[in-house]
Amino acid sequence: MRKTVSLILALIGTFSLSTSLATAQETYKVGAAFALSGSIAVYGEGFKKVVDMAAEEINAAGGIKGKKMEIVYEDNKSTPKDCVTAVRKLITVDKVPVLFGPAGSSNFMAAAPVAQENKVVMLSAQGAAPALTKAGEYIFRVFPSDILQGKGVSELCVRLGYKEVPVMYVNNDWGLGLKNSFVENFRKAGGRVTDEIPYDENKSDYRAELIRATKGNPKATVNLTYIKEGAVMFKQAYEMGIKTQWICGSAARAPKLVELAGKAVEGIIGTYPFVSHETKEYKSFLAAYKKRYGDDKIPIFGDYNYDMVYITAKAIEKGGYTSDGIRKALFEVARGYRGVTGKKTFDQDRGVDSEYGEWTIKDGKIVDYKK
Amino acid sequence: MEFLLQSIFNGVLAGCIYALFAMGLTLIYGVLNFINFAHGELIMWGAYFLFLLMEEPLHLPLPVALVPALFLTVLLGMGMDRLVFKPLRQANRLTLLIAALGLSFLLRNGAQFFYGAEIRTYGFEIKRGLRFLGISITPSQIAIVLTSVVCILLLYFLFHRSRLGKSMRAVSDNLELARVVGIDSKRAIRAAWVIASLLAGVGGILLALDTNLQPGMGLINLVKAFAATLLGGVGNLWGALLGGLFIGLAENLGVLIISPGYKDAIAFGIMVLMLLVRPSVLFGGRE
Repeated sequence: MRKTVSLILALIGTFSLSTSLATAQETYKVGAAFALSGSIAVYGEGFKKVVDMAAEEINAAGGIKGKKMEIVYEDNKSTPKDCVTAVRKLITVDKVPVLFGPAGSSNFMAAAPVAQENKVVMLSAQGAAPALTKAGEYIFRVFPSDILQGKGVSELCVRLGYKEVPVMYVNNDWGLGLKNSFVENFRKAGGRVTDEIPYDENKSDYRAELIRATKGNPKATVNLTYIKEGAVMFKQAYEMGIKTQWICGSAARAPKLVELAGKAVEGIIGTYPFVSHETKEYKSFLAAYKKRYGDDKIPIFGDYNYDMVYITAKAIEKGGYTSDGIRKALFEVARGYRGVTGKKTFDQDRGVDSEYGEWTIKDGKIVDYKK
Repeated sequence: MEFLLQSIFNGVLAGCIYALFAMGLTLIYGVLNFINFAHGELIMWGAYFLFLLMEEPLHLPLPVALVPALFLTVLLGMGMDRLVFKPLRQANRLTLLIAALGLSFLLRNGAQFFYGAEIRTYGFEIKRGLRFLGISITPSQIAIVLTSVVCILLLYFLFHRSRLGKSMRAVSDNLELARVVGIDSKRAIRAAWVIASLLAGVGGILLALDTNLQPGMGLINLVKAFAATLLGGVGNLWGALLGGLFIGLAENLGVLIISPGYKDAIAFGIMVLMLLVRPSVLFGGRE
């Protein structure tokens, strides 16, 4: 009995050893520190489906310079601590030069310094926090930073002909970052910001802030707000009879806003990062997904993950299978690259731009704004 | 000019709410000699009790739901005293302070547990305010001002005309002496809790009618009420009223000059200043 067991164990051992040796030689390994268990496992499972699909497609089309691309998954258990462990394991044990980082900005940012210290490229497909790539030059993202929205809001104001606007914003890192980006872009475009009004989260009374903002009856007022604060403010502005065109970002774009503030939010306009579902890239992605998994329920951020795998494969092909080669090649291969989620050209902060759609509220429904 | 008038009106409005809270806070302080940091949760639960009665499955209309909601708030206030503060009557101030803080967390998280952290409304349709002298006033705002005036008048008659009010004032002046002359101090304490809970419930409901409900609503306003209490002299009912109005006005007029990011700093600034100038107000002494 014992002999049989040890024989089996030995067999398994040799088998796994031989396969791992073989793969080390024959494939390009790419790490993926995904949330496969824990609180946000629902993200990780979805990402894995799409990443697997993309890698299979690449391999079926001949792989990278004749070698197969192999994704090495490591469960990050949805916590920052285990994200660090997972990334460290991928770097030291699997020795990958490039890896896909965890979802959730705080999880990603916990692990980013580990990748940076070890000079391993790490990418994010869903991090929106402005500081996401601050850890260093090995950290990239294929998802637009919130900061870019500031530009989108500025362009919207200019296009609608509003030259002088006051700007209200939530008094935290997110609001301040967004406001600074808006003000910078708006001034560049020849606009004038008449007043800047920061306000605190979670208040029930914003009347003083509203009066200050709309002093002198501006035609339009930019309000970079969340759902909760936005609902309270728009309601109080409506009650006070303030008539101004509200311009928002994407953080307030939710049915909950209408539920809370009713007709007070009718007609407000905002921007949001927009992925066109009409491009041929998106359509073929959707068709491929349907064929592979039998439904068209693309996981959230699945489209961004798909682009991330393709860009990474291209970077390995161009720059070679070393982290520095990949890091340099990423800029080149992504320049002008049109993925499922649009243009993926990296800027100097190793982030990407996005196209912006415009939304408004009409008859209590969030719809695309057309003018 | 219009915005100035509107700011003054908004200041009075906020001031009325702060004053209702501050008067309850200062009343408990007067009788029991400690600051009830769980007072904010009475405010919040007052609003949520009304929400409870107006939502599924009861669907009571507002006028019908008001009385039971206030009754529940009073029960909560009495329960607070019976279960937490009464056993600690002889304890020192630090114990009471910590007990009140703990109770505040418990009640706030309780609301969050049952209703979630999201904001809710009573579901009334939003209306444009009535225009009057260039400023806008909504019906709920008229209700705030009128209710506050009525509450203040009732309090005045209670404290200066009724036996109960006089006994409460006596207990508040000197508990031992009041007992010696045969005043029922237990009854006075009970009355103080009922009145403080009523003021909190009324204020909370008015606040929620004018704005909305969220579990943190009590805490935010308690800080302002506390500043108003300090400004008016702790234990001084009419001081609390004036303090509340002053802080409401200072906040609403202040942000016309300084950045609204520092709006809360106005109330805190007043609070710190009062503690520096008259530190005795917090620790026993009464003006």
